[in-house]
Amino acid sequence: MSDVLEQTELVESTVLDSSWVTIVWNDPVNLMNYVSWVFRSYFGFSRAEADVRMLQVHHDGRAVVATGGREDMERHVEAMHDFGLWATLAKADA
Amino acid sequence: MKAFRRSRHRFVAVFDPDEASTLSLLASQVSDLIENRASHGTDPALLRLLPDAYPDDAEASAEFRRFTADDLATRKAANARRIVVDLAPAAGAMSATTVKVDAQSAQAWVRSLTDIRLTIAARLGIETDGDVESGDAVLRDLYDWLGFVQSSLVDCLDR
Repeated sequence: MSDVLEQTELVESTVLDSSWVTIVWNDPVNLMNYVSWVFRSYFGFSRAEADVRMLQVHHDGRAVVATGGREDMERHVEAMHDFGLWATLAKADA
Repeated sequence: MKAFRRSRHRFVAVFDPDEASTLSLLASQVSDLIENRASHGTDPALLRLLPDAYPDDAEASAEFRRFTADDLATRKAANARRIVVDLAPAAGAMSATTVKVDAQSAQAWVRSLTDIRLTIAARLGIETDGDVESGDAVLRDLYDWLGFVQSSLVDCLDR
């Protein structure tokens, strides 16, 4: 019974923790190699993954770069602003 | 100007005196703009340097700004001042001078070059990918040159 409860709590916290997203928006200023480097150095993405997200920003106008709890996403957005990237956060289902 | 290259643990570029003076002046101006941001509240450059975190929620954006803007502004101003300090010998020299930037300084440089370019882009009215030819030609050349400087540094950081 306790196992079931713990699992339920785990599921709930996982749901809560993926309820926000960090979005990076395209801008005409930031260089493609810089955006890819930021994604690798801050988020720890592989070069391939960083380039995919960078190109998504470039071609689609935006890309979700992180999913999680609101406080974590605010921390990521602040870090992106530190790098000069245009980042916002939003509810995941918005 | 000779683009940044990596030399062991340092990042090395060569600046002419006028290039070093110009970049130093731009960094000072961005630092001043950020530090005196209260008196430039609606400056589009500042809105881009410290953007809204919640585009559809002014209240949440204001709250986010209250908790993050001072720290962000302090870091951005410090990054810009790092460029000024590192360029001082080259700016005061009579001929092209080698500028050596350590790894920590390079992190400040690459961020502040972004902030400077964002600020100039706001002055030039560059808001979309299609606006790249807009604005004053001299400022436009400066903007392109800063992109070259930054790109060479990013390539070095990447290795």
